[in-house]
Amino acid sequence: MTTQTPSATAEALISVRNMSKSFKDFEALRDITLDVNRSEVVCLIGPSGSGKSTLLRCLNFLEAYDTGEVRLEGELIGWQEGTAQPRRRVAAGTLRRQRQHIGMVFQQFNLWPHLTALENVAEALIQVKGLGKKAAQEAAMAALAKVHLSDKAQNHPANLSGGQQQRVAIARAIAMEPRVMLFDEPTSALDPELVGEVLTVMKEMAAEGMTMVVVTHEMGFAAHVADRVAFLDKGRLVTLAPPADIFGREPDDPRVRSFLQTYRERNVV
Amino acid sequence: MDFSFDVIAHNLPYLLAAARWTLLISVAGMAISMVLGVLLCAARLTPNLALSAFARFYISFFRGVPLLVQLLMFFYMLPYVGLDLPAIAAAILATGMCSAAYTAEILRGALQAIPKGQAEAAEALGIPSLALWRRILVPQAIRLGLPSLVNELILLVKVSSLASVVGIGELTRVSQNITGETYRPLEIYVAAAAIYFVINFVLSRFGRLAEKRLQIG
Amino acid sequence: MELDLFVRYGPDLLRGFGVTILCWIAGSLGGLVLGFAIACLYRWSIRPVRWVIEGYVELIRGTPFMIQLFILYYGGPYMGLVLTPVQAGIISFVVYGSPYFAEIFRSGFNAVPKGQIEAARCVGLSEARIMRRIILPQMLVPITAPLTNFIIILSKETAILSVVTVPELLYETQTMAAETFTYIEPFLVLSLFYWLMVIVTSWLGGRVEARVTRHLKRT
Repeated sequence: MTTQTPSATAEALISVRNMSKSFKDFEALRDITLDVNRSEVVCLIGPSGSGKSTLLRCLNFLEAYDTGEVRLEGELIGWQEGTAQPRRRVAAGTLRRQRQHIGMVFQQFNLWPHLTALENVAEALIQVKGLGKKAAQEAAMAALAKVHLSDKAQNHPANLSGGQQQRVAIARAIAMEPRVMLFDEPTSALDPELVGEVLTVMKEMAAEGMTMVVVTHEMGFAAHVADRVAFLDKGRLVTLAPPADIFGREPDDPRVRSFLQTYRERNVV
Repeated sequence: MDFSFDVIAHNLPYLLAAARWTLLISVAGMAISMVLGVLLCAARLTPNLALSAFARFYISFFRGVPLLVQLLMFFYMLPYVGLDLPAIAAAILATGMCSAAYTAEILRGALQAIPKGQAEAAEALGIPSLALWRRILVPQAIRLGLPSLVNELILLVKVSSLASVVGIGELTRVSQNITGETYRPLEIYVAAAAIYFVINFVLSRFGRLAEKRLQIG
Repeated sequence: MELDLFVRYGPDLLRGFGVTILCWIAGSLGGLVLGFAIACLYRWSIRPVRWVIEGYVELIRGTPFMIQLFILYYGGPYMGLVLTPVQAGIISFVVYGSPYFAEIFRSGFNAVPKGQIEAARCVGLSEARIMRRIILPQMLVPITAPLTNFIIILSKETAILSVVTVPELLYETQTMAAETFTYIEPFLVLSLFYWLMVIVTSWLGGRVEARVTRHLKRT
């Protein structure tokens, strides 16, 4: 095992401890332990079905993990504190508050097609943050400016390209001023020529110090933007290391080696 | 309220006997509906404008008028045009003719759900158009349309109750007759409802089974 | 064609038309409301309640409307429920329509992609908000056509109410036909009338559909 056991540092923003998750008989995640520090970018890579997306979805409790812990700034996500078994979910309102601090961007954008770009971003500001309509629109415009879409505010999703839709989705998440942003293969549904604009926005966010966890197949992004890269295989965390250790030299672990080999053959890295 | 199961038990044989007529009307009606429905669907899709206009008119009219009104009209009209059909035959014919309009649309919808590429692939291979229809399109249309066709049959079981209005001794009419003698409408109609329900339940389960067996792949 | 017949019976026919419309609209609205309540109850309740709802839906959909009407109108008094024909007609319409409407609403709920609801949960919107702001406006698109369709079916089912002497259009026409021994013309005119009603309703439904799908069109 080449897994570098992360030292439980005081400043870890997200800390995952011995987390496991199964779907019926299928063991999707097994004994995951991982810390994400403030302003850190962690990329999750690995073959399809390795559990990357499930891990990400456990972080904001879209999937309820079975055992172990996920903590954001020390607060247990989704389950009530305590050792009683079976664990009980936190109240719906509590989960909503916890999720406000965790922004999420999906592969399929998941914009609400009946609302304009501006309304998509402003909706939660009004309903969840309780901003007035005017203040919400201003905040939403600011978020859209960050993703360089000020001029598309009045468009419905049907009139935006895939790359633009994904940037609106990013704006929707960052407008809530989350502590951390989760990205679930944000460029996988995009035509190749639209990938760049989304990655650019993500790089800018990273440069501004946003904490990010990114499931991606863009090895270039992982190599150049990530602080650490986690490689998952069959639900296990195989390697967690700075990108130079994974992409810069021949990895020790044969699973990582063969995974990266397929990318090299396609001239991606 | 005293709900007497004895009343039901005593009259059940009569109700079950009447249910056979209900089944006859619906199954025979469905047979007419299928034959006429295929013809109408074909007429609707031909390039022949007169034929397709007629099919459109037929489908729109028979779907636009309540079946009960159609039934009554059939009854008053037939002697007028010199056709002396037994009441049961007239009821079956009217039911089938009405249902055919729906069947035609079900088949048309199913045909349109088949990806265009399949026909193009057949054309590219030089498969003649009759074979294309017979071997590729129609079998798939029936598969795709099967759930709706079973639904249509279930619908016919339910609308066959309208035949009671023109005096045919199917389940609803016999229930009315028994009610007239026993003055126990609640028990008798609940029993009739149960029989209809069982028939339709069996049909829908059977339909699901057939759907599974015909499933592609 | 004996036109004076229609003049003589004009007021009766007009009243019958009014009763048809009343039963149709009241029955449809009641069925819509009850159906929506059932669909919501189904969405947010535990398994045993769902079984009860499923049973109700299957039961009503598996039996003829006429029998349901008879149980209510003729059987009602034995359960302490004495209703006028019009009351019985409207109530049985509401009951008969509700499971069909509920199924349409349920399919509408399911038609909104799951990812959109997840996205709404991720930014912390409450379930009631998600229903009102995300699901309801969007499900109008897939449900308008089936709703129109079923409301049209109901418009035709009003004819069945004549069997329990609701003085609606078919009943008045039958009275006129029987009193004057003229059958062909009245029923032809009646057919055309229903046909027209259906065409107008489906045209209206098409207009509504065009309206609710506006935002999906690329401009």
